[in-house]
Amino acid sequence: MSASSIGLAGIVILLVLLMIRIPVAFAMFVVGYFGIAALNGYNAANSTLASETFTLASSPELVVIPLFILMGNVASVTGMSRRLYDAAYAVIGQVRGGLASATVIGCGGFAALSGSSVAAALTMGKVALAEMERFDYDPRLSTGVVAAGGTLGILIPPSTGFVIYAILTDQSIGRLFLAGVLPGILLLMLFVAAITLLCWIKPQFGPAGPSTSVADKALALIGAAPIVGVIVVTIGGIYGGLFSPVEAAAVGAGLVIALGFIASGLGLADLWQATKDSIITTATVMLILIAAHLLNPFLALSHIPQVVGEAITGLGLSTYGVLAIILAVYLVLGCFLEGFAMMVLTLPIFFPIITTLGIDPIWFGVLVVLTLEMGLISPPVGLNVFIVKSVARTVPLSAIFAGVLPFWFTMLVALVILISFPQISLFLPNTMIN
Amino acid sequence: MPTLRRLADGLTGLSAIIGSAGLLLEAVIILVDVVGRAFGKPLFGSQDLVTMTMVFVVFGGMAICDRRGGHIAIDVFERGFPAGFNRFIDIASALLGAIIFAMIAWTIVESAKLSVMLNLSTNLLNLPKAWFQWALSGFALVTAFGMALRAVEFAAGRGDVRPRGDRA
Repeated sequence: MSASSIGLAGIVILLVLLMIRIPVAFAMFVVGYFGIAALNGYNAANSTLASETFTLASSPELVVIPLFILMGNVASVTGMSRRLYDAAYAVIGQVRGGLASATVIGCGGFAALSGSSVAAALTMGKVALAEMERFDYDPRLSTGVVAAGGTLGILIPPSTGFVIYAILTDQSIGRLFLAGVLPGILLLMLFVAAITLLCWIKPQFGPAGPSTSVADKALALIGAAPIVGVIVVTIGGIYGGLFSPVEAAAVGAGLVIALGFIASGLGLADLWQATKDSIITTATVMLILIAAHLLNPFLALSHIPQVVGEAITGLGLSTYGVLAIILAVYLVLGCFLEGFAMMVLTLPIFFPIITTLGIDPIWFGVLVVLTLEMGLISPPVGLNVFIVKSVARTVPLSAIFAGVLPFWFTMLVALVILISFPQISLFLPNTMIN
Repeated sequence: MPTLRRLADGLTGLSAIIGSAGLLLEAVIILVDVVGRAFGKPLFGSQDLVTMTMVFVVFGGMAICDRRGGHIAIDVFERGFPAGFNRFIDIASALLGAIIFAMIAWTIVESAKLSVMLNLSTNLLNLPKAWFQWALSGFALVTAFGMALRAVEFAAGRGDVRPRGDRA
């Protein structure tokens, strides 16, 4: 049996294991381990397992994951995310669709505190859905906006998606974080534009909220100032070269904890629970990464990436044509696979093609993460939709999926813009980090 | 069986405490280093401390991650399968997880023997690498034990110990 045949068999077995609900990490582990054993013997498989496990578990770059997760969890527990929403609400809540726009801005702010889309959707869902219901917002708009706004969590830095991409493709986490800033802001603005357009066409979707006095506006903005300060210090610290991403994560977590103790009534029990939740999420992510580092050498040994690469380049398409095919595959897979698992499974195959074609890996990372975001709200397994459903129990799932549809198309527009203008993604990393 | 369950939950809780404490410690070490650097006195060996503590953070959380049903699985087709098949998959997944973590523990112990033989240690503080490899193996064994027990309990008709709604 040739190496490629073994590789192909491995991929088929992997897909079957995933379909029958074997956890993603376990399925990748089994195929990776036995694949290496089949191609290079059990000694090689055992040695790869031991070295990759310990190397990843003690990786200095990966320290960023638990620390940013901790920062987001503490921000969520202390209600700091609520203050971001309140500030946006006070400023634009009184215009038509303003509450929905405030929700998106709140999601963007929370995204800058947390690397998780799920955390953003859950937290903002708890905060914003009741408010929008109170002001007779159409449930399709209110739930759709929370599910879509939550996806900003993996595009706006700090982003777990970018960290995983960086580790899998050996890219700089700092450069990827910076690359996500402008696309994140662009997407946020496009979301607000989509809401405005929607409420202009159908005014009953998002009636205007109550007007607030200048004093109320000022109070809400002052309330959000410390959280904005944390975001500026952490992301600005990386941007200004003051901190490495790991240091920024520790500084951010430290500041959020300190703010929580001083101003938000954070107790030791809350901090402990947030820390415990953080190590659980870290374990989920890290086990998949370890399994990916077993699967990747197997795929490389089986020459599958080369075979797929030759097949795609053999089509005679332009660089943009190949890119379009790869992104289309991501969009389709995003309907069925969890985004993180999808990235781990596909990058070993697609990334060598991308580098061969001379496509900037940082730019490609932004495009991949954006397609992952789209997967988070794509039927039938859009994770954020289910998260919103868990908060808005009376709204049918079909209504939430209908609500996210305009935002899915908005993301598609953003994807086309980012493909057409790579500078939007590359300007900050190219100017700030050599 | 209840005694084994108490033992597994106790060990899982202890691992989680060590992992959580490790995460807070990591944040403190980096903060002290950053502040110290601003005053021209960075913390010597902070990189060694942070990377080795990461082992406790990552593997200290593995057992509780499984106990809370934290591993991602794709459940799109679950409703299309018969209940008996889904039950079989739940048991098989738990057993597979137990075997995987036992293998991790075994290969890392073998690797630790090499580290002792070669006297491998961290770059600055010269902390023996084997200490952390043994710790990792210990956490992996606790996780394997919890998963194996879950499989046995499930097979014995005691149901799934993981919280409903969170299961992978």
